[in-house]
Amino acid sequence: MTVELERVAKSFGPVKVLHELDLAARNGEFLVLLGASGSGKTTALRMIAGLESVSSGRILIAGRDVTNVLPKNRDVAMVFQSYALYPHKTVFENIGYPLKVRGLRNNELTARVKEVADQVQLGSFLERYPRQLSGGQRQRVALARAMVRRPVAFLMDEPLSNLDAKLRGHMRAELKHMQHRLGTTTIYVTHDQIEAMTLAHRIALLEEGKLQQLDTPAQIYNDPANLFVAQFIGSPPMNMVRGELMEGIFKTRGKDIETAIKQSRKKAVLGVRPEDCSISGTENGRFRASIYATELIGDHVLVTVKAGEDMLTIKASKNFNAATEAVIGVDFPQDRLFLFDEETGVRLK
Amino acid sequence: MSEAGQKRDRRTARQRLFEAPSIDRMAPVSGFLVYAALVLWTLVVLFPIYWILITSFKTAIDVNRGPVYLPWIDFTPSLNAWNDLLIIDFGDTVKAYTNSLIISTTSTLLCITIGTMAAYALARFNYRPKFGNIFAFAIILIAAVATIALFKVDWRVTSATAAGLFFLFIRAAGRRMKGTVGNGDILFWMISQRILPPVVVVVPIYLMFQSVSLLDTQLALTLTYCVANLPIVVWLMHDFFATIPLDMEESAQIDGATRFAIFWDIVLPLTKNGLVATALLILIFSWNEYLLALFLSTSKAQTMPILVAAMNAGDRGILWWTMCVVIIVMIVPVVLLTLFLQRFIAKGLLLGAVKG
Amino acid sequence: MTSDGFHTAAKPGLIAPAEAIATTGRARLSDWFDRNSSQIFIWPAILIILVFSIFPTIASAILAVSRIKLMGGSYNIRFVWLQNFKKQFFGSEQFHFLGTFTGISAVGWLVILIAALATAWWLFTYLRRNATVIGLAGRLVTAFTGMGIVALYSATLLSGNQFGTLGTTLFYVIAGCSVQFLIGLGLALLCTQPIRGRSFFRVVFFVPLMITPIGVGYAFRMIADTTKGPLSPLWIWMGLGNFAWAADPWAARIFIAVGESWQWIPFVFVVLLAALENVPRDYIEAAHLDGASRWQIFRDITWPQIAPVAASVMLIRMIEAFKIVDLPNIMTAGGPGISTESMTLHAFFSWRALDLGQSAAVAYLLLFVTVVLCSSFFNLVILKRMRVA
Repeated sequence: MTVELERVAKSFGPVKVLHELDLAARNGEFLVLLGASGSGKTTALRMIAGLESVSSGRILIAGRDVTNVLPKNRDVAMVFQSYALYPHKTVFENIGYPLKVRGLRNNELTARVKEVADQVQLGSFLERYPRQLSGGQRQRVALARAMVRRPVAFLMDEPLSNLDAKLRGHMRAELKHMQHRLGTTTIYVTHDQIEAMTLAHRIALLEEGKLQQLDTPAQIYNDPANLFVAQFIGSPPMNMVRGELMEGIFKTRGKDIETAIKQSRKKAVLGVRPEDCSISGTENGRFRASIYATELIGDHVLVTVKAGEDMLTIKASKNFNAATEAVIGVDFPQDRLFLFDEETGVRLK
Repeated sequence: MSEAGQKRDRRTARQRLFEAPSIDRMAPVSGFLVYAALVLWTLVVLFPIYWILITSFKTAIDVNRGPVYLPWIDFTPSLNAWNDLLIIDFGDTVKAYTNSLIISTTSTLLCITIGTMAAYALARFNYRPKFGNIFAFAIILIAAVATIALFKVDWRVTSATAAGLFFLFIRAAGRRMKGTVGNGDILFWMISQRILPPVVVVVPIYLMFQSVSLLDTQLALTLTYCVANLPIVVWLMHDFFATIPLDMEESAQIDGATRFAIFWDIVLPLTKNGLVATALLILIFSWNEYLLALFLSTSKAQTMPILVAAMNAGDRGILWWTMCVVIIVMIVPVVLLTLFLQRFIAKGLLLGAVKG
Repeated sequence: MTSDGFHTAAKPGLIAPAEAIATTGRARLSDWFDRNSSQIFIWPAILIILVFSIFPTIASAILAVSRIKLMGGSYNIRFVWLQNFKKQFFGSEQFHFLGTFTGISAVGWLVILIAALATAWWLFTYLRRNATVIGLAGRLVTAFTGMGIVALYSATLLSGNQFGTLGTTLFYVIAGCSVQFLIGLGLALLCTQPIRGRSFFRVVFFVPLMITPIGVGYAFRMIADTTKGPLSPLWIWMGLGNFAWAADPWAARIFIAVGESWQWIPFVFVVLLAALENVPRDYIEAAHLDGASRWQIFRDITWPQIAPVAASVMLIRMIEAFKIVDLPNIMTAGGPGISTESMTLHAFFSWRALDLGQSAAVAYLLLFVTVVLCSSFFNLVILKRMRVA
């Protein structure tokens, strides 16, 4: 089922936390709302759930206008960051609660709770209390409680952020698998770009209550709409160099870098991903920098180099070896360069 | 000789007596003094109760011949007093006892219901009543009461006129007023009702119940006790509710629970300890209440405290032995209940008290 | 890493049709309750307080400025302005409410002078700081009430006269609360010492709270009895064998205060004990390592930590102590004369004499004293601490 936001805005008194957001999750889609804290992503999710009132605009779920419908009548399920499990109820009662309050009878309730519990491998924990479970198991109970009702959409508010790093990776895969199997529209809020990239069909990147870009992870990575998106996505982040763009020639500190964008800007920013740079000799005309630090990650080495004020990170092969302070040259592939207007942040194409 | 032994040997006798060997142990002398003080206070606490207990097994002669302390040694315990009360005066005592039971339990239930609801509401919803409206309400209320009392205008006519005036006022001026009060003010208003000495309100309450022929009924006392204890419930329970994470309630809300279901299924079970402790406190207060019962009950709805207090003036003087039996009978349910619910009290009330 | 497609094909049967939207009457009703729950939850409490607390308070104010005659089911009421209050302060009830006056002794004048100077200094220092109109008004009310109380005791207690029910009530509050606080705190401190059997003492010390106040009254009446009471050998040994405590004003007052304290020390004890146990252990251990003495640890670490709780618990005790009525009525019925009569009892006796106006006036005076003293305590002790913290 679809979830649509039409020019939805939210303000607390004079503070605008969400500026007329237009967003639509298609049927069966896994849509991730990505942004830093304070970007309005959680507010947007809570508005879809009905926990927060809408200042203006409409929300449609499965084609029905639910802007003024009570949360309980919106037929969505939500997984909270804290899981929000009821500590005084067993796993069975926790999972069965959404059915119980809807007046489902005992036999059917039991059957459905058992079915869902088996799907998340909790079948043998039904009589336990949440405090007797591990973090991952609690998370699965929360998931099962959302699934048991078969809602039209799942809403998830940073559900993995309370888990340790190893478990998070595992649960991420499980979550993706489950969503794929159920085919239920899912709106997922996170500040973690890896989660967003790995889980999403499409990512909506929010900043200061405004939608920056809505696209597939690959598109967002390869074709960022503006400076903010380019900086936000990618780990380590995209390298940024300030300078002047003249008819496709980017000038910084006396070096000219040829680009494919035939435009001119007094103040421009050149962006290049670490994996697109390469280290080369220091022949004339090359961009020169001195090595600041090298970090062996495993399958590659991250080389941080310093050119004047700018710091660049370059992904080099795992065999790279050079002394700190050594001067090297950096190669930028012409077709992998991004250029932005420094003042507006707009991508130059 | 062990190393520890050698160390101990080096301490002088004075050090050994007056200095604590470690932080979590006491020096012998101060330890003895602490014990002495604690045991002394234990005697102070237990002696009056012991005296009530043994007096209930004394006969008139034992009481009147001066103090005797130990049953079977000083005097022969007898069940006379118990017999007098349970056989001869049985009817009156049972009536007062049932009255007390019914009034205190129902008023506790009512008080807890109304009080927890208000406390929960103040912990969860935002209220912004207009200050001007409240002020107008107070003025109109005072005027109405004065009109009824001093000019003998029929109370129905006055109430209707007052209500009409108030709604007219809200319609006309309500929107223009800006100043509002918040949840904190409402909470303070409710809790501050406890400062009001009951003797201030009891005469008008007497007249109110008289006018609807409810004087000397269980209902009158139940309602009055409920109001008297409401501030305590609101105050204690508000603290407990404020500590429950909002997530759980929001989750239930999305899962389809109504506000009442959330309150009943999630909020109340989570504050079980505090709830039981508060209820017990209210129950004890209602059980022992004296002043309001003195005004509002004469015979039919007479409660135990009034019955016991009335034994003060019998034609045979005070029958201490019977009196002690009644007092014991009054104390026993409280003690049993407290022991039974000790677990909750320790967890609930102490935490609440510290936070308060 | 990611695919551009998304899965439109849901497995059949896994997604149930959307749950029924509120269309039936019952569902609509439940929705209405949900939308209005903020009102539904709070109005029962507000209504019951309005009817049984606010309305009677107003009605009582009207009674206090009236003369009422009850006639069967009806009543006759006449507006008399402040006559009822005038009677309490200056008229035929003066001896009862304030006390008897024959002039103020030299000691009395001295105390009044010292108190007046102290009050003036206190107001002066406040004015020199950033004073506000409301703050000043509140302090003036506090100052006048305080001065009035000092003057009352100077003119009665210090001048060899009897004080009335106001003085008696204040005695119960001040003496009772101080004793309860000191002993309660002492016991709580003893019970946090590292000794065996602490939990036993805690349970035992809690017991008096469970005893009905009526029972406490009678028990202390028996204990105070110098001839047949359990302590009579002690009284006789002290040469008080023929002493009738109930006939001596001070003995009677003190016995009532003792009974009241015996009952309520556990309350102060339990709350302070909980507060003491909430003081973080590491603060105390750090102080031990720094070589602080027990007294220094208490003064510098423990006391600042428990002071807010101590202030709150004393405020609660004060509020309740002003309402004292059962013990004086049970133990002495206000006697000898009026010397143990509290203001609540005074109002009750007036009511029993069918003088409703006087009864309401005394009740209102009690309300006034309670509110002024308790809110002064709250503002000057508790809020001050909160501001400092």
